[in-house]
Amino acid sequence: MAIKKRERLEVIKDILKIIKDNNKIKSTPLLRQSNLSSSRFQEYFKELLEKQFVKQTNYDKDKFISLTDKGYKFLEKYKTILGFIEEFEL
Amino acid sequence: MPPGIRQLAGQGIMQGLGMAGGGFGTELIYSFIIIIASLMIYFGTRELYNLTSHKGIKYFRQAFLFFAIAYFFRSFIKSILIIFNVSAVREFTPLIFGPISLFLFMYSSSMAIFYLLYSVMYKKWNSNKIFWFHILAVLIALTSVLTKDLRVHVGMNIFLFLLVTLIVCLAYLESRTKTKEHKYNLFVIYQLLFIFWILNIIDILVPNFFRVFQLLLYLASIAIFLIVLYKVLKKTGAA
Repeated sequence: MAIKKRERLEVIKDILKIIKDNNKIKSTPLLRQSNLSSSRFQEYFKELLEKQFVKQTNYDKDKFISLTDKGYKFLEKYKTILGFIEEFEL
Repeated sequence: MPPGIRQLAGQGIMQGLGMAGGGFGTELIYSFIIIIASLMIYFGTRELYNLTSHKGIKYFRQAFLFFAIAYFFRSFIKSILIIFNVSAVREFTPLIFGPISLFLFMYSSSMAIFYLLYSVMYKKWNSNKIFWFHILAVLIALTSVLTKDLRVHVGMNIFLFLLVTLIVCLAYLESRTKTKEHKYNLFVIYQLLFIFWILNIIDILVPNFFRVFQLLLYLASIAIFLIVLYKVLKKTGAA
């Protein structure tokens, strides 16, 4: 069965949702759950950090990833974003 | 300039000062509504773009930013024609006001349409073509400023309109074959936008060409922009 390639926004949404569901998560389990190759995950993660959708915090000598307000905003607006893109065929 | 056009332009000047066919007040109100609608679309989609950096949204926003700029210069040109009683903006001196404002109007209105087209087509065109649209817009603007032959102006704009129509039709047909649901209304709206773009440009380049129909042209243009604004506000959750 052919697997449909996820669109960029969908991948971002999936990653952010995983982080949200876990409240905070380390990068290795996040990579595993995101269903992405290591290189693609690194690209997306770097983008999410640069855009300040996620933040890394040290907790008990480990680095944990959690959502920022902007990350929550993206998830909240995701359906609106998709609806807009579809409406105007963008 | 062909005698008929010269006569038409000459006769229309004094009428332009009154309300018949579109006076100064009408021009200002018309431009104001379009500029405000365009800027509302531009700023209303800012949050979506900030969250996604989506290229399609970027090009869509740029289109309406350029529409706002174009209509600003349009109202400026119309003001010059009416207040200083000149038959063509090229005749206005000093140079900085006349031909330069015409250049900026033609460049920004062309880029508005090109960005709108690009927002729909960029995924189908693999390479970044927006640079070439800027070049084309500059050429169109330069031609409008340097050429005094109205047939060239009208012919060039009709050619552009046909080109854009062809691309829009191809995009519509492709979307019909790929998805069950096709955005017929969107393509109709865009096509009407392109039609009124051409008519507005001709209205500037050939003053008083649409003397009788000018008010209808303005009302129809406003309606198109307000429809797009309504769709944007509805889809962004603001309406």
